[in-house]
Amino acid sequence: MSCPPKKIKLEQNTDNQFYPVLSEEFTEPTPMIDVYIDTVTDPRNISKVVVELNTVLPLPELTHLKRIKGKDVLLFPCNKDTAPDMVCEILKKNNFDISYLKNNVRTMSVAEIAPKTRKQYEVVHKLWPCNFHSNKYVEKLCTNTLFSASEIESHVNYMQVAIDIARFSKDPLSIAGVVVVDPKINSIVAVGFDKRIDNPCQHAVMVAIDNVALTQNGGAWQQVNARLDNQASLDLRGIPDDILDVLKKKYRNLRFGATKFKGKCEIETPSDGPYLCTGYYVYVTREPCVMCAMGLIHSRAKRVFYGTKSENGALGSLCKIHTVKDLNHHYEVFAGLLEDGCKKLKQK
Amino acid sequence: MLQSATETVNEDKQNPTSVNDNLTELQQKFMETAFNFAYNALAVQEVPVGCIFVYNNEILASGRNTVNETHNATRHAEINCIDEVNNFCRSKNLDVKKIFSEIDVYVTVEPCIMCAAALYDLHVRSIIFGCKNDRFGGQTVFNVASVLNPVTEVKNGYRAEEAMNLLKEFYKGTNPSAPLDKVKVKGKKARKPSDEATLKT
Ligand SMILES: [Zn+2]
Ligand SMILES: [Zn+2]
Repeated sequence: MSCPPKKIKLEQNTDNQFYPVLSEEFTEPTPMIDVYIDTVTDPRNISKVVVELNTVLPLPELTHLKRIKGKDVLLFPCNKDTAPDMVCEILKKNNFDISYLKNNVRTMSVAEIAPKTRKQYEVVHKLWPCNFHSNKYVEKLCTNTLFSASEIESHVNYMQVAIDIARFSKDPLSIAGVVVVDPKINSIVAVGFDKRIDNPCQHAVMVAIDNVALTQNGGAWQQVNARLDNQASLDLRGIPDDILDVLKKKYRNLRFGATKFKGKCEIETPSDGPYLCTGYYVYVTREPCVMCAMGLIHSRAKRVFYGTKSENGALGSLCKIHTVKDLNHHYEVFAGLLEDGCKKLKQK
Repeated sequence: MLQSATETVNEDKQNPTSVNDNLTELQQKFMETAFNFAYNALAVQEVPVGCIFVYNNEILASGRNTVNETHNATRHAEINCIDEVNNFCRSKNLDVKKIFSEIDVYVTVEPCIMCAAALYDLHVRSIIFGCKNDRFGGQTVFNVASVLNPVTEVKNGYRAEEAMNLLKEFYKGTNPSAPLDKVKVKGKKARKPSDEATLKT
């Protein structure tokens, strides 16, 4: 096979082609279930048959399905105790007048649950008609059309900063950088780089989380003096001095600092003031491990963007911690942002 | 004998098989110390989880949750203990990896997904915990062992009811550092996952 010549423009664009890491309920086909169907003898009786069946054999688990497809009618789900030749008996037992039907019982595979995406809907609807409530946000995620051009540019910029931060990592074998952004004020709240050579828990993400805590008068790994950006009165404690200097010189258009933390008594409106990483976006050069991914859930991050996959990654590779149903908080995950640049870090 | 995690995790709460009999007197004493830290946490309005790291039958680290104190939701008892052992090793110039691989962890509540991953990655020798963690448990909510293939042996059930009652006691109150609208009543479903904030362990 011969490869078409690569165009430089296309190559540049791949930087922007990051993608959401979604739960299987959106990416996998809709789960299916086998049901018995039969054909109505006289099409004029269709509505009567439907009303009758819904009365004597309601299907509360399958309300997303239409009862009828053309002249075929959905009877009830198959199970191992009912062979097709018993269907007639069961209908009779439930006082259903079987003379309405052709006694041509067949099995049919239908959607077990309502489809969650248009793509899933189009597949299952062809097999058997069903209801579908389209969710605009989900559709945008599934088709990867959520972000505008300017939003994409902003995400790319912040990941570029994370790559610069990663270079401060202490061990050449584990290089990672993190930038935490408050999208409400479009400002870098905190950064983190890998320090596991000093402390096995000090992965870049965990360091960044603790640096966010510094901006809220907390923090466990460090104590820092109060530092405020005088013009904007943003709290700069989440970014070490030396790194802040470097970043300010390189990125003249970026903002730095967190909204000032308010103690409990100062909070007027309930949603006021920063609380952990609530509402924050986290940019990390490589996919976080299980510990870090869960640390971000505890911290209530809103979105996590990562560059390159990790062997021990918990946001797509080993597992998808952010899609575990039983957890009380879920963030959105996007992968492949500046993947090439992030990959190069790892090789160094 | 330590049972494997998968064998014990599915046991019913009311299961009369208690690990009490399997714990030596010394081990029970370690758990007692861990419980003291959990009670201490409750007294200062932190999620009541206490933890002890034991090396060569000696307590090398002890701690409790300090999430509210540090405004850092990752400061669980286990992470605090890891820090302590790490500092100890470095001050004494000891091999951190080797020490961790010989550590037995005693903790009143099942380590959460984050802490389970941290402890498995450090290859700690064993974890003995009290009650299950229905909200964040590294076995109960998501089985971390299924993806990390740990060498760590896990055993549970000792004074489980007492550990659970401590948690219930805490969750009856409200989290003192969460903004008012973000504190939810246990059992109530929050509206939007991204907006909600609950009490955490
Ligand atoms: Zn990590
Ligand atoms: Zn934990």
